[in-house]
Amino acid sequence: MQRMFMRRVGLALLLMLAATALTFWLVTAAPGNVAALIAERAAGAGADGAMIARIADELGLNDPLPVRYARWLGDALTGDFGISLRTGKPMAEEFAERIPMTLALLSGGGVLVLVLSLAMGIAGAVSNGGVADRVLHGLALVGASTPNFFVAAMLVIVFSVWLGWVPTFGVSGLSSWLLPWTTIALFPASVLARVVRVNLQDSMSRPFATTGFAKGLTRRAVLMREALPNIAIPYMTTFGAQFTLMIIGAIVVERVFGLNGVGAFFIEAIRFRDFIGMQAVLTLFVVFFVSVNLLFDLLAMLADPRLRRPRKA
Amino acid sequence: MTAPIYEVEGLVIDLYTPSVSVRAVDVAGFHVAPGETLAIVGESGSGKTVMTLGPLGLLPEGVAVDLRGTARADGKDILSMSPADLSRLRGGFFGVIFQDPMSALNPMLKIGPQLARQAQLYAGLSAEEARKEAVSLLARSGIPDPEDRYGRYPHELSGGMLQRAMIALALAARPRVLIADEPTTALDATVQAQILALIRQIQKEDGIAVILITHDIGAVSVLADRVAVLYAGQVAEEGSAVDVLTAPVHPYTRGLLASVPDFRSDHATGTREIPGIPPSQTQLEPGCRFADRCDLVQSSCRTHRPPLVRLGAGPVPHRVACPVVIAAEGIVTHD
Ligand SMILES: Nc1ncnc2c1ncn2[C@@H]1O[C@H](COP(=O)(O)OP(=O)(O)O)[C@@H](O)[C@H]1O
Ligand code: SF4
Ligand SMILES: [Mg+2]
Repeated sequence: MQRMFMRRVGLALLLMLAATALTFWLVTAAPGNVAALIAERAAGAGADGAMIARIADELGLNDPLPVRYARWLGDALTGDFGISLRTGKPMAEEFAERIPMTLALLSGGGVLVLVLSLAMGIAGAVSNGGVADRVLHGLALVGASTPNFFVAAMLVIVFSVWLGWVPTFGVSGLSSWLLPWTTIALFPASVLARVVRVNLQDSMSRPFATTGFAKGLTRRAVLMREALPNIAIPYMTTFGAQFTLMIIGAIVVERVFGLNGVGAFFIEAIRFRDFIGMQAVLTLFVVFFVSVNLLFDLLAMLADPRLRRPRKA
Repeated sequence: MTAPIYEVEGLVIDLYTPSVSVRAVDVAGFHVAPGETLAIVGESGSGKTVMTLGPLGLLPEGVAVDLRGTARADGKDILSMSPADLSRLRGGFFGVIFQDPMSALNPMLKIGPQLARQAQLYAGLSAEEARKEAVSLLARSGIPDPEDRYGRYPHELSGGMLQRAMIALALAARPRVLIADEPTTALDATVQAQILALIRQIQKEDGIAVILITHDIGAVSVLADRVAVLYAGQVAEEGSAVDVLTAPVHPYTRGLLASVPDFRSDHATGTREIPGIPPSQTQLEPGCRFADRCDLVQSSCRTHRPPLVRLGAGPVPHRVACPVVIAAEGIVTHD
């Protein structure tokens, strides 16, 4: 267990390193010269070739790629992600302002995913082929195949425009979070509801479920006491994977609902060819991806007694 | 003779899956009395499990079950019970030991607390008493260091120890009928004898009714008072263990015993498999189910299902569903 744990952590660090190097290379290779952009910002149309060359030299942009990556990494590890070419503010400052918004979106959405997926999956298994099971199955299929921008548009039209219950834009109070949370949660909740339903069904056809019935448990009790603990492992792993993917959803959702988060910043960074900003946000995404997946993999390992307490030989 | 405590008559069980429908049990029955051990023998797939556990609603999910007949536990009709009452009956009145303890025990649950819960719910013990009872049940089932094993997960025990834990679990509610469905098939040969000895000891001490489902004729001769031989969902022969093992009449029973090495019976002709395979239970044909594999088959065998006829005048009814052998060997029937 300890060794497996250390191996996972090591692998995660390696993955972060490789992913940031790759994004660094891609962002650097993208068309548009950083020095030219800076010169343009500083001197407007008056920027000439000499000025651009001088800026490039000062920033060390002529050094080989590995050298530049190492320099960038060293800065990043101290929390220095450079200065946004678009806003002119240090990225660390941008992050401090925007991460709470994105975190609120992801954590509220994550709680909704947890509640919805378990409720839908368990209700389906209780109904076991009944009307509720079929309706929930249909809902999950729709939820897992509707793009989030479409969901957002529909929700806004119905709840903001027609009914006027919640604002269309920005956040002010809990009610304004409902649509963004619902939008971002719908896809992962649908996927996870199926994971719950299918794994519960699998568990219910295992011999240990028959033992549960033989112990005198009702079907509902067998579901909750015997089958449910057995879905913990696939559920946690899938939850981790789906939760990390929600950061992609956040890019669209923040934009549509006018939330000033990291995702919205990323879109602006792309539009303005803010390479420094892009690299910083991508790094943040990579760290989020890898560490959240790691966290849920470790939780899944902890939930499994066979891994938590391996049999001594 | 004591009145039966679990009694099944005229049972028909059809199973439906999306791909097949099977008549797993075709008008069969059995009964067992307190203090008695009934062995149910027959080839794999002959319906032993479905016949015994089906009336209790203990068939795996995913199969649609159509069940007719009568089944009584302590005189009460099981088949008309509410689901809640049937659940209680399964938990308290019956104890079940399954074939493979590795898959029959929940990998995510500790062993001891499950026993304690049964003792608390069904034997009316307090939480503290129930815990003590669970530990002593583990000890009684021959598990060393039961205090330690109480908090263990299934993967931390060997197969033999797990089957002992399974037995302890089955006993925790102090059942009146213990059903052991091939309790040793998944275990090492050395452990098998120990598990059978344990079941025998429990049976002796508690005086409960035991139904032992097995292919192991040796186990039958040691443990069973009565034997029912099942073939393709029907009872071919039943009677006292002595009658069935030493004076088998049905050609299938004779073949079954002849195929057992070292088993002494008048008809044993050395180790010999019964040629052929059991009929497909998906196509129902009239007549004797054994006809296609029977050396003595006659044309009448294929038109009418042979009735179970009681033989002799012994106190324990010996019944055989083969009029051909009865007539050919001039066996005296009851009345
Ligand atoms: N889960 C199941 N799905 C489909 N058919 C089954 C299932 N369980 C049992 N059967 C069928 O029912 C018949 C009796 O099975 P079973 O009672 O398990 O036999 P035994 O216990 O004597 O080996 C077999 O023909 C088998 O194919
Ligand atoms: S009834 Fe006929 S086919 Fe069946 S066992 Fe007897 S002799 Fe064989
Ligand atoms: Mg069986």
